[in-house]
Formats: sequence, C-alpha cells, structure tokens
Amino acid sequence: MFKNYLLLSLKVLKRKPLYTFISLFGISFTLMILMLLTSLFDATLGANKPLTHRDRMVMVPMAERIRMEPDTTRKIDSIVMDDEQMRYDTTLNIAEEQVSNSNGPMGYKFVNKYLLPLEGAQHVALFSKGNNVDGYLDGRKFSFNSYYVNDQYWDVFDFDFLHGGCLNVEDDKQANKVAVITDKSAMTYFGKVSKDVIGQEMLLGEETFRVRGIVSRPLSDSPFFSGDIYLPITTIDPRRLEDDAIGGGFGAVCLVSSPGKREALKNEINFLAENFDMSADDFNNKLKIFNASFVEGYAQGILQEEDPGKAMRMMFIPIIGLLLLFVALPLINLVNLNISRVYERKEEIGVRKAFGANAGDILTQFVFENMVLTLIGGLVGMLLAISLINYINANDLLGLTRLSYSVRVFLYFFLVIVVFGFLSGILPAYRMSRTKVADSLR
Amino acid sequence: MIELTNVSKAYRTATIETLALQNLTLTVPAGEFLSIMGPSGCGKSTLLNIMGLIDEPTEGTVSLAGKTITGHNGRQIAKFRNEQLGFIFQSFHLINDLTVVDNVELPLLYRKVGTRERRRLSLEALARVGLSNRAEHFPNQLSGGQKQRVAIARAIVGKPNIILADEPTGNLDSHMGDEIMGILTKLNEELGTTIVMVTHDERMAKKTHRLIRLSDGERVS
Repeated sequence: MFKNYLLLSLKVLKRKPLYTFISLFGISFTLMILMLLTSLFDATLGANKPLTHRDRMVMVPMAERIRMEPDTTRKIDSIVMDDEQMRYDTTLNIAEEQVSNSNGPMGYKFVNKYLLPLEGAQHVALFSKGNNVDGYLDGRKFSFNSYYVNDQYWDVFDFDFLHGGCLNVEDDKQANKVAVITDKSAMTYFGKVSKDVIGQEMLLGEETFRVRGIVSRPLSDSPFFSGDIYLPITTIDPRRLEDDAIGGGFGAVCLVSSPGKREALKNEINFLAENFDMSADDFNNKLKIFNASFVEGYAQGILQEEDPGKAMRMMFIPIIGLLLLFVALPLINLVNLNISRVYERKEEIGVRKAFGANAGDILTQFVFENMVLTLIGGLVGMLLAISLINYINANDLLGLTRLSYSVRVFLYFFLVIVVFGFLSGILPAYRMSRTKVADSLR
Repeated sequence: MIELTNVSKAYRTATIETLALQNLTLTVPAGEFLSIMGPSGCGKSTLLNIMGLIDEPTEGTVSLAGKTITGHNGRQIAKFRNEQLGFIFQSFHLINDLTVVDNVELPLLYRKVGTRERRRLSLEALARVGLSNRAEHFPNQLSGGQKQRVAIARAIVGKPNIILADEPTGNLDSHMGDEIMGILTKLNEELGTTIVMVTHDERMAKKTHRLIRLSDGERVS
C-alpha cells in the first residue's frame, strides 16, 4: 500500500512543478536554517569532545567577595491625628545590604586548599586561561593562547588526542616543560600534524617546552578549553602560585561520579562559601563561589546573570520562542499550500472512500505523501546546510566555533524533518479525511 | 438483498429544507437488475448514494445483505462498502495519476490483498471488460467508453454482491452505451451480481429486469 502511496506522491509532485518548487524551496530553506542552528547548538552545548562528561561537570569559574553592611529601614504603616498631634505607627526592619563586591577567578592557593579536596568531586580540573605567549621558530614569531592546567584537567575534559598523550601528576610536581598543543597550533608552528611532532621542542617566550601530545581543536569556543597550548600548571609565573588572596587567575571544573550528584556538590561548594572565614579580608565579609552546570554556566556567562535558573530561562525562553516562530511561519504556509493541494484531490478522496478507504487510510495517505515531500526538502536542505557548514568552518566565520554534522546532528535533524512533515500534513489530511463521500463526488 | 424502509432524505440549510426523498420503501432481491428513472433533481442519485452507504437517510432504515445499517461506525461501513459494493459513476471518477491497472486495484488495496494477487485479479477484471491491452495506460489516454469499462473493472474486481451504477452510459454515445450495457447485463447474468442503475435513457432501462420511477423524491411507479 505504501508503495502505491509513494508512487502516487511522486507523480503528484511531478504534476505541479511550480507548486512543488515553492513547497520544496520553503521546506529546504527552513530545514537548512534549522540544521545550521542544530549544528551550532550541538557544537556549543552538545556533549562533544572534550565535553563528553558534560552532564557530570560543575563549573566553578570564579568567586565573589562581598561587603555586607547593616541596613535599617523604618516603614510608616499608618498615621493618626491624636489631640492635634500626628502619630505614626511604624515597622523597623533590620537587615543587611550588599554595599560592594568584587568578583573574578580565584587564587592558586585558594583553589588548591578548598576546591581540590571537595568530597563530592571525583576530579577537579584547575586552569589558568587567557595567557598569551609568543612562540618562536626560525626567525618567525607566532602568538598562542596558553592554558596552565593541572593533571586532573585531562580527566575532566576528554580531549581527542591525535598523537601522544596528556600531561600528568609528575609534570605538575616537577614543573616539567612539556606541552599539549592543538592540531591548529601544530600546523602553525611545525607546519604539520603528525607523530613526528611529539617530542619536538617549542620555544615559548623564553622557555623551551617539549610537545607531549596533539589534540584536535574543540568544536566550540569555551573559556574552559579554548587554548592553543596547554602547559603544566606549575610552570606558570611562580609569583602567581604563591599568592594567598582569594582572587587570582584560576578557575576550576569539578567532575562528579554521576549527573545526579551535581546538586550535592553544588551544595557542598555553597556551604563552603557561606561558612568561609573572611577575617583575613579587611574589607569584604562574605564569600560566594560560583558553581553551575556547563549549560547553566554558559547561560550565566553570555547573559551576565548570577542566578543559574534565571540565566537558563533568559537564554532558552527567547531561543525556543524565536525557534517556534521561525518554524511556525513556514509551517503555516505549508499547511495552507497543503490544504489547497489536498482539496484539489477531493474527488480522489471520494473515490477511495467509496471503494473502502476509511478516514484513517486517507489520513495516512496524505500524511505519508507530505512526509515524502518533506523528506525530499529535508535532503536538499541538508545538502545546502552541509555546504554552508563546510564554508563557515573553512573560513572560521564563527571564530573558534566550528559547526559539526555528527550522527547526532543528523538524528536531531531527521527528527525535525519528521515532526515538520507530520505537523504540516496532519491538519489538511485530517480535514479531508472527514469529507463525506457524496460531497466529494458531487 | 437491498431493503429500504420509509427512507427520507432532507437537505437542510439555515433557511430552507429540501426533501430529496420522501418516505420511500423499496426491496431489490439478490440477482436483480433494477433501473431507476426520473427527471433531474428527483432524488435518483440520492437514492443510489443511500443504497451505497455514501450518504445517510434522514429517516428510515437501510438493510444490505440482511444487515440493517444503523449504529455502525465509519470504519465498519467502509469495510462493508469495500466487500459488498461496487460503484460506477457517470463521470468515471478514475484517478488520473494512476495507471489503468492501479485504478482497478483500488478496492483490493483496502482489503489488504497482496501485490501479486491484486495485480492478477485486476488483470482478470480488465480482461472481462476487454481492456487487457490498456493495463499500463493512464486514464487520459483512453476514450470515454474505455474509461467507463475501466470503472466497471474497478467495480467488479472485488467481486461485490451489489453494483450501483449512476448513469453509466450518460456520457457516452449510443454505441458505447450499448457496449457498457452489454457488459453489465453479462455480469448480472453470469455472476448473479445485483445491479441498481440510475439512467435517463428509456432504451437502456428496458434492458433491465425492473424499472422504478421517481418524481420529487417519491416513487411514482
């Protein structure tokens, strides 16, 4: 039966080339944009390497030192005249108010002393980001973004190693001059990405580092792993390791054993902050340590909103709203086109029903036909999207972020096509399946 | 075989009620070839539609093959139509995007008959109406008479007990009309199929077993 439907739907498409073109253009264009968005979403927030453990991570990028002061307010509840005297009934509210704050990444000693031993964390990655370093080779100079990371950084972030291996605990202890570099850095500095690069020296600033491993560049630009070069944390300027202050240049990412344990760890971090002895700070008297899941942290970062829940709502509600609107417009258009297309075939529906088709058969046939149309449109949209993704990636049009078209993206996309095809076909098909045979054949 | 008891059909709009059939009682025994005549708008097609379960009476009961058709849902009626009834229309109502043989297969499609069997039965039905050589043609490539023969093949492919024909010769010249009438008569005689035919043509009506006449929704003879 479906073969019959398929043949018929292809014939119907061929019968009206202009209508087919308009429908396909709308579907392809919409689905192309949707695939690009899906791909961007997946590259930015998907569980791709090095974020495979994304759902087990708690990001602790910085701490905030706050000065709280008593703040007493008097509220007039009522005024009465008593013997030509005005009398007030008031409520006194004694509270604390934030008068100043200072936030930023944390000091090395602070993260080492308080975050590394967190009970709920399986691994704690420490890192210092955004350190620009110049590399030199044969009279040429290259600029790199270096990250100083501890050994557990590689347990938390599962980079895709193309050659060699990661830095280890001995490198931290001995402050070994070794480096893990991205494939792009290897290409820039050595002109190749191959096994030969492992063990070769790189002159970075005034020091020479030996390449330990080459990783493929992550798909997205994230403050947690957008380095060109990764060096042992102990090879950083020693003065930065000795600073006792809460603030410094280091962030942390904790890994818990299962996603369900993230909340417990977040509570542990909050407890630590609330009970932190701030007597060493002669101005601030309260501490807050930022902690959030990867997606929450992403939303907090781009929206500069402290409350993770609010940040998520602020990010996703407009995105979902816009996406719905973006899908709804072509969907309504397609529904409209489909209504006229199905209506034209009123006679056929009447004949089919006269010879035994029930409403369900008619519904199935027209939804199926629409799915065929949407699948063709989806295929064209997918080819367009892949071409565009290749173009965007080849020219780094989105900065460090590169769009992907992984199996997961295809699956998401296929789901979108099916939903789109179903939604745009079901209403017209439903309407026509209810038509009375006698009316259809009149 | 077909039993209509006190059947009335009214078409209602907000302001007007039109009575298409009034209190009509009719019995068509199995194997009969009955023709219905009457002026345009007298309710002939409405009567045929009610017999074919593609329209519902406002009042009265319809019994087909011993079953009173009341309180059945759409799915059951569709199944009943598929198994018991075959339709032939004045304007053929073939699906132009399907080949002749695909058109003929239509009733079997909803009977979940396998592809090969469907094809075999359809070719057999086309052979019966003398159109084996046109199986892979499209309806637009056929003459009016040939189209009606395809429609007959479609009506008989599922071997229904009843065929309802609404002016099957109305769009054809007299020669083609005779040909179609010949096929219907043969079907009735050889297979014992009950046929109810609406016609305007007295000559065709005379070739059937019995003729009834309608006027203003009422049976007048």
